[in-house]
Amino acid sequence: MTLAEPVSGPRRHLSALRGEAGALVFLLPLLLVFGLFSWWPIIRTVVMSFQTTNLVEPAHWVGLDNFREVLSDPLLPTAIKNTCYFALLAFVFGYPVPLVMAVIMSDLRRLRGVYTVLAYLPVVVPPAVAVLLWRVFYDAAPGGVFNTILGWIGIGPVPWLESAHVVMPSLVLEATWAAAGGTVIIYLAALVSVPPELYDAAEVDGAGILRKIRHVTMPHLRGIMLITLILQIIGTAQVFLEPYLFTDGGPDNSSLTVLLLIYNYAFGSTTGNSNYGDATALSLLLAATLAIMSLIYFRVTRSWSDS
Amino acid sequence: MSVDISSRPLVNAEAEAVAGTAGAGASRRARHRLESESRGFTSEFDRRRPAIRWARRAVQIALLIFLLIGALGPLLWLAKSAVTPTQDTLRHPMSIWPHGADWVNLKTAWVDLHLGRYFVNTLIIAFGSWATQMIVATTAGYALSILRPRYGRFLYAMVLATMFVPTVVLLVPLYLTVLDMPVAHVSLINTFWAAFLPAGASAFNVAIMKRFFDNLPTEIIEAARVDGAGDFRMFRSIVLPMSRPVLGVVSVFAVLAAWKDFIWPLIVLPDPSKQPLSVRLPALSQTTELDIFLAALLISTSIPIVFFLIFQRFFLRGGGLDGAVKG
Amino acid sequence: MSRTRIRCAAALAAVASLSVLTACSSSSDKGSSDGKVTITVEGWRPGDQKATIASVKQQAADFMKTHKNIKVIPKEWQWKSDTFPAQLAGGTLPTSFRVPFTDTKGLVAHHQVADINDEIMALPYAKQLNPTVLAAAKGTDGKVYGLPSDVYANGLHYNRTLFKKAGLDPDKPPTTWDDVRADAKAIQDKTGMTGYATMTKENQGGWILTTLAYALGGRMETQSGDKYTATVDNDATKQALGYIKSMRWDDKSISGNTSYDWGTINQAFSAGKIGMYVSGSDVYNALVTTNKINPDEYGLAAIPTNGSPDSGALGGGSINVVSAKATKAQQKAAVAWIDYFRVSKLVDKSRGVADAKTLAETKQPIGTPTFPEFDKATWQKQQDWLKPYVNVPQAQMTSFLTGMFTQQLVSEPASQTQALYAALDPVVQKVLADKNADIDSLLKTANANVQGILDKS
Repeated sequence: MTLAEPVSGPRRHLSALRGEAGALVFLLPLLLVFGLFSWWPIIRTVVMSFQTTNLVEPAHWVGLDNFREVLSDPLLPTAIKNTCYFALLAFVFGYPVPLVMAVIMSDLRRLRGVYTVLAYLPVVVPPAVAVLLWRVFYDAAPGGVFNTILGWIGIGPVPWLESAHVVMPSLVLEATWAAAGGTVIIYLAALVSVPPELYDAAEVDGAGILRKIRHVTMPHLRGIMLITLILQIIGTAQVFLEPYLFTDGGPDNSSLTVLLLIYNYAFGSTTGNSNYGDATALSLLLAATLAIMSLIYFRVTRSWSDS
Repeated sequence: MSVDISSRPLVNAEAEAVAGTAGAGASRRARHRLESESRGFTSEFDRRRPAIRWARRAVQIALLIFLLIGALGPLLWLAKSAVTPTQDTLRHPMSIWPHGADWVNLKTAWVDLHLGRYFVNTLIIAFGSWATQMIVATTAGYALSILRPRYGRFLYAMVLATMFVPTVVLLVPLYLTVLDMPVAHVSLINTFWAAFLPAGASAFNVAIMKRFFDNLPTEIIEAARVDGAGDFRMFRSIVLPMSRPVLGVVSVFAVLAAWKDFIWPLIVLPDPSKQPLSVRLPALSQTTELDIFLAALLISTSIPIVFFLIFQRFFLRGGGLDGAVKG
Repeated sequence: MSRTRIRCAAALAAVASLSVLTACSSSSDKGSSDGKVTITVEGWRPGDQKATIASVKQQAADFMKTHKNIKVIPKEWQWKSDTFPAQLAGGTLPTSFRVPFTDTKGLVAHHQVADINDEIMALPYAKQLNPTVLAAAKGTDGKVYGLPSDVYANGLHYNRTLFKKAGLDPDKPPTTWDDVRADAKAIQDKTGMTGYATMTKENQGGWILTTLAYALGGRMETQSGDKYTATVDNDATKQALGYIKSMRWDDKSISGNTSYDWGTINQAFSAGKIGMYVSGSDVYNALVTTNKINPDEYGLAAIPTNGSPDSGALGGGSINVVSAKATKAQQKAAVAWIDYFRVSKLVDKSRGVADAKTLAETKQPIGTPTFPEFDKATWQKQQDWLKPYVNVPQAQMTSFLTGMFTQQLVSEPASQTQALYAALDPVVQKVLADKNADIDSLLKTANANVQGILDKS
């Protein structure tokens, strides 16, 4: 079942009682809030992407100029490349960790609560606080926190945020720390629903533990794994906080992400020459990309929940 | 508005989880199952074999150590360093109080950095966003699920459609809207309304609420109708009291999202006296001595952690609704 | 999707919002119902100490005694390149605020600041203002849009304690860039602290790189008529980056921590972690009020130049402007406040002495080197009446104080300054981050970028 599906069933005969006017009163908060803070800004994004304006001087229609300008910005390929790189790293490092953790935790008889609370703890730390704390960890000096630890085993010092090669993995490491717990919980919820009979049946067939994981646990997780993957891609396409607070896109634009670029178009000029047209044009392009991914996501969840 | 976007498209699975477990008695059953009935991939038989028993224990202990170091470690380090003099933290970041603890840091951070004020701001913003989200979600869910006007399906589709547009992408036009509200032509900048109101535009909340109301037992609602209960009374006296589980889950995440939000309050609340902790702390990091600053971070972290420990059931049952799946 | 539905929803929402929102707008009333004009003004920086805040509040109270019809509300505020644009667009700036010398023309061109030409020209000292300084306050239309203050020349700030520990004479700061390099290495080797550091973020990496290029005789742009040409890839810039590169990679006297901006480098320097860095001559004020530096450790030297005819110290300052949203009455009040708070104390002895007394009571720094806004004679008079109150270690600033009038003061690049600096930030970052960075090609790219920006404007 999915949410978009029309609701049908036992309550249909209530419809005779419904008062259109009464419903409107209850819908007023929704219309107000969505109208002002969701639908109107969406319309405005589309309109502004064809205009040039800095809010003070009157807006002009410029056709596709903004899109042309954005697409020819030499920083755009850098930003896309960095964003994809972030997504890739998050996939390689961040994706398997919660999965493995959840599978092990699902087999716990005691103390599962302790494990879950521990795993979830970083998720409740405010992201800005987490970044500020990790900025201290990432001190590049040999006496920095991480470098001291690495020093014990004779590695380093590592220039965590100061090197174009290391900066992205550093950001991903912190992002993984901050987010993995949430994914663990999702997997755990899915694992709880594995019918015990399936394990029993597999065991009757003589399956060992690893085979049970492979043939019972993993197939059961396949749907949710795909969902978390797509969600992760959608999430990483919008990375902002980490590059903004850690490095402001540096060094040498090596952590400049698409969203940071949008932000800079809109809020990057100190002389009031803000380029809202370019910012909204790029927002629209990003939104289109994400919408395609969301569509895939809805497809996947539908087929997953149907099965 | 939360920039923690990943929570939004998660509706399907999660609405199922919450709606499915929240019906009368069902939640207790589900929790019960989560805690004891459910079983992992090892059986009694497996665990009786020594090799497997030891391997299993080793893996579990390894995970525990990993969690203690990886998840808890950074927070413990923060707790330690928050009460350590700056020079000790700089010179020996991994030693534990080489020259004693400095508990005054916590007080200095609270008093000199006026953390109290930013803490109150954070609470105001969290409460206001929570109230907006609750009002919008419950009334809309009620109207769309129970009253079901003719245009309801269309409206619901319009709400769900906004899920395809991540809030961050709307940053600029949303900012411009808040700057000069349509028709009224007032600016909400530097007012808490700018933080409260956009938070209400959460399709996720509306969807989850509607799904939950869809699953309420029809008989009760019909009986109330027959008794002549009006729309409003039914909403207040029947539907809301029956919705406590889902209200709890949505509340927890509404408050947490407001607590975590950064970029939106950053741009709509430039006046320092109105800023929440998450916005204020980065600004203070430039000018505050390290030990005091770490103490400030510790204080700002411990509040949501306590909140989490108290309400952990909602968090964990909600199935990581909020789970920023970035990592 | 139905368009009428959207319009209907928007209209509904808008109507309802009217009643909700009028409540919010009335709270921000800045009107003059009781005949008083209320203005908000830039008061202190985030993190400033209580005494600094108290001092500003005291001055506001004194001002209101003589200006009965004006209510001044000082606020915490600081010009930062990352937050300023949103505040500008949001109209949330104080009535009066300071912007860098470099930005007045752009702000005027985009109608973002008020025209206060008449109010300024009516001030008694208007005609005496140093023309080169005043030029920074003018729009392209020749009108004056603000009052200059905090005029500085960039200098070399150094930690005397680290100099001593490294076996260097703290009274003999380096006078050439080879000296800087040698001293930085000595500090790094002997004390383990960073010998030399530079800002790299928020356009300030470009600002300091430009300072170094000026010191070595380079210029970042040239003007002929209306046309500006980028000359970022000049030999002096290359040489400056060469010094940075060898200090970072050969001597290791620039440590691995390289993500500094104006605030964080001040913080690190005050904590004794940095041997030398380049910043404005008046930064000592911030080091005291915000970072609680130990005065004994502080030293200030003139920026080392290489003797070429073009070499000089980059100078700049702030322009006190008034928000474009201010009413005429507020504009007048704001100019009166700026005159009182920032400028008249430099020309009027009784004002200057009274101000010094207020500052002294709250232990605020007095005597930090700034540059003359008027002529040298006026500046000298001001120094004389300030003498009894000076509480900054001027003896530790001798090199700068003697050098400041012999050095050529060079203004910042005239067109698109902040954008030019922004284009140079990544270059500095790259040289510090990558051992094999190719300075020539980096500068070539940056030059093309800057030229693109100049052509667009």
